[in-house]
Amino acid sequence: MSYDLFLGCVIPARLPFLEASSRKVFEKLGIKLNDVDGFSCCPDPTGIEQIDRNTWLALGARNLSLCNNNGGVISFCSGCVETLKGVNYFINKDLTIKKKVNRYLQKIGKTYEGKTEVKHFAQVLYENLEKLKENIEKPLEGLKVAVHYGCHYLRPSEIIEWDDPFEPITIDEIVKTLGAESVEYDLKMECCGNPVEKSDKDLSLLMIGNKLKAIQQAGANCVVVVCPACYQQFEFNQKELNKLNNTDYNIPIFYLSELVALAFGFKPEELGLNFHRIKPNTLFESLGFEI
Amino acid sequence: MSVINYKFRNEVLKHNASLSYCYQCSTCSGGCPVALLTSGNYNPRKIIEEAILGLQDKLVQSQDPNPWLCSTCQKCVELCPQKVELTEIFVLIKNRCFKQSKTPEAFLAQAQAVLENGVAIPYSKAILTRRDKLGLPEVKTASLDEINELLQETNFKKHLLKEG
Amino acid sequence: MESSKSALVIGGGIAGIQAALDLADMGIHVNMVEKKPSIGGKMAQLDKTFPTNDCSICILAPKLSECYRHPNITLHSFSEVQKVEGQAGNFTVEILKRARYVKEDECINCGLCAEKCPMRVDDEFDRELRKRRAIYMYYLQGVPAIMTIDKEKCLWFTKNACRICEKTCEREAIDFEQEDKKIKLENVGSIIVATGYNLIEDINKDFLKNYGYGKFRNVVSALEFERLECASGPQGGHIKRLSDGEPPKKIAFLQCIGSRSDKAEKYCSSICCMYTTKEAMIAYEHDNELQSYVFYIDMRAGGKGFQSFLRRGASEYNINYIKSKIAEIKNDQNENPIIVYEDLNTGKINEMKFDMVVLATCIIPPVGIEELANTLGIELNKYNFIKTTPFIPIETSKEGVFTCGCVHEPMDIPRSVAEASGAAARAAEIIRGG
Repeated sequence: MSYDLFLGCVIPARLPFLEASSRKVFEKLGIKLNDVDGFSCCPDPTGIEQIDRNTWLALGARNLSLCNNNGGVISFCSGCVETLKGVNYFINKDLTIKKKVNRYLQKIGKTYEGKTEVKHFAQVLYENLEKLKENIEKPLEGLKVAVHYGCHYLRPSEIIEWDDPFEPITIDEIVKTLGAESVEYDLKMECCGNPVEKSDKDLSLLMIGNKLKAIQQAGANCVVVVCPACYQQFEFNQKELNKLNNTDYNIPIFYLSELVALAFGFKPEELGLNFHRIKPNTLFESLGFEI
Repeated sequence: MSVINYKFRNEVLKHNASLSYCYQCSTCSGGCPVALLTSGNYNPRKIIEEAILGLQDKLVQSQDPNPWLCSTCQKCVELCPQKVELTEIFVLIKNRCFKQSKTPEAFLAQAQAVLENGVAIPYSKAILTRRDKLGLPEVKTASLDEINELLQETNFKKHLLKEG
Repeated sequence: MESSKSALVIGGGIAGIQAALDLADMGIHVNMVEKKPSIGGKMAQLDKTFPTNDCSICILAPKLSECYRHPNITLHSFSEVQKVEGQAGNFTVEILKRARYVKEDECINCGLCAEKCPMRVDDEFDRELRKRRAIYMYYLQGVPAIMTIDKEKCLWFTKNACRICEKTCEREAIDFEQEDKKIKLENVGSIIVATGYNLIEDINKDFLKNYGYGKFRNVVSALEFERLECASGPQGGHIKRLSDGEPPKKIAFLQCIGSRSDKAEKYCSSICCMYTTKEAMIAYEHDNELQSYVFYIDMRAGGKGFQSFLRRGASEYNINYIKSKIAEIKNDQNENPIIVYEDLNTGKINEMKFDMVVLATCIIPPVGIEELANTLGIELNKYNFIKTTPFIPIETSKEGVFTCGCVHEPMDIPRSVAEASGAAARAAEIIRGG
């Protein structure tokens, strides 16, 4: 089994440790990830798509035209997955859009038919749950995980076509398979607020503040995400929120691939966990993970 | 006083016919997380109402409600009983705002970065070192010439330079 | 003028009952077939009926008795139509009469057997809000007043044990040897289909999950609330929250749940706007401190006296009407449902906590309608209701087969009754000849 790998912008250029754990997980599972040269920004469905749909289609289709693997494309980022799936959706739904996009691509000597399959890495993990189970060496007992699905992993369901848009189960199932506990909390399905940051930083902080409060109240000792925007929103804002509201948030944020890698037996320093802004050291000590 | 702009209204309808299915039930505004937190200052139902009425000056000129506050969570689209494609219509309105030079700075900054680097976040030296330490391969991003030519073709460059 | 032709009425709800009585009073022999152990249908489950707020069973019960005792009506309860052949004026019908395992001539409905029966089963009539026994009366005032044994839950049929009812019955009315019977009817002139409706929560609970139905105990459907309000229902008419038994002081009624939606049923369920006001009025009569909030898209109250009914609700019964369809319901720690909605007068988004929420769920075609339509050779429309033409709404696609009531379109009781008389008249035309 192999996929072309679409890295996007945020993970490789700002949070490379998330890429490290993800690559290690897929290597252990025996799923090959092919690096492809020449990708651009997907482009950002909360950024460029909002200001110019045509450019979004053109850049997205260009990225997809570079893939040539029959297994399809995988990405570690929900935003990239939404863009690439979205581009496929519109190209396949409307012939005039397909023609328009290919007219753009023609100018740079490329074409795109809309046939490349796109998958979120969590989808691939869920589809290979048995293989995942076989590779678990250290069940993550003691981890009380607040699962945050985010929005673009699920919706719009007509484009994403994966988990249930309001009552999803896939990431909860993976977390439980890893031996951790998935904690129910208020506002579990609420948006983290990251896209709003470009327009209103205070509103964005308010949204993530509400989520962190609910997570702390529910007694979770960490959060798991599958999107780098959600990751940044959860991790980068805790300090500022503490200053603003006199709270004491210090909740480690994990990417799903990091949890899987830990369960596979990889050491925290192999995965670059020391690059997290909120260090999980205290949590790991209390659970008996070697640091 | 707002004036109905029939041309604008028809353009929106042509781009997305589902706009005419809306029966203003306010399921969308009841479920919208941003509407709740802004006490209704941001209101998806109102944006659709204004689009139905073709109130271009309210939507694009005064941006009341401000479409840029949408968090793109897509809850409204999932909840709408009439299958109105709200976020599609919001994209159209925001695209129009961009063409009329009414875009928040952060969006322009990202657009500029992509135009100049092909990616939204250029690779700093520190990151390249860190990648190396983590054993990650070098990333070869897009040819800037190609990106430049493509963005010229879509008129993106033109609108962006007008804004900046 | 006397004809040996008979009429067949399928369905023992108010529409079927009215049609049968009309035909019987005309001197025509009617065979009435009802799937459940008793006739009465949904109207028997209601507490009161709009717009007069008359007691439902008080209006229905005399008609039930008349159906049972009328010399021209043969009531086949706990039965189903299995085969229909022939054409208008001369149908041949095969009916399957299921065994009740109780002798109809002996049972006097004293209820001793049910007191002793050890099996507890979800009571379908009370929408599973309480338990009945394996030997049971479908409902208190049911006609025929004969006990029935639910063989899927009876210990004798499932585990070859018990038979306590048999030992208890002083009339020796229990008969475990009873068998299903096939009844053949010949010379049936016309058929009237009046098999009523089901509700969307009976077959599809999927989109109800956003409202917490089935998960949040204080979120109930409208028919469940009707049973809770009813004096003969599971709470004896004292409305209590299902979570802690406390009386609710603030109730939200949500309209258009599963109807007028591209994600569920596209059509309007027709009666909900009216019955919601009725339910809120009854609840207020039980407790004058109650505040009701009705969340709607449009208030559809077009019939005679309907608009003033709503106005009375607002002015005399503490009902607040708020135009805003609700997207979802959340629960707080005390199981109080929380509703977020936009106030369309101010544009503000409000959050309101309630003690209880009632969902006005969509009417859907009755379960089994496809098989019945197949048996009868009649067409269904795109929503799976019986297909009729707009100007002759009681004619089906087959000559000699007529229809009335909710089986072809959601409608209220007055309309069902009017259509029933219409269908009876048309059915009589064929039988009387000419």
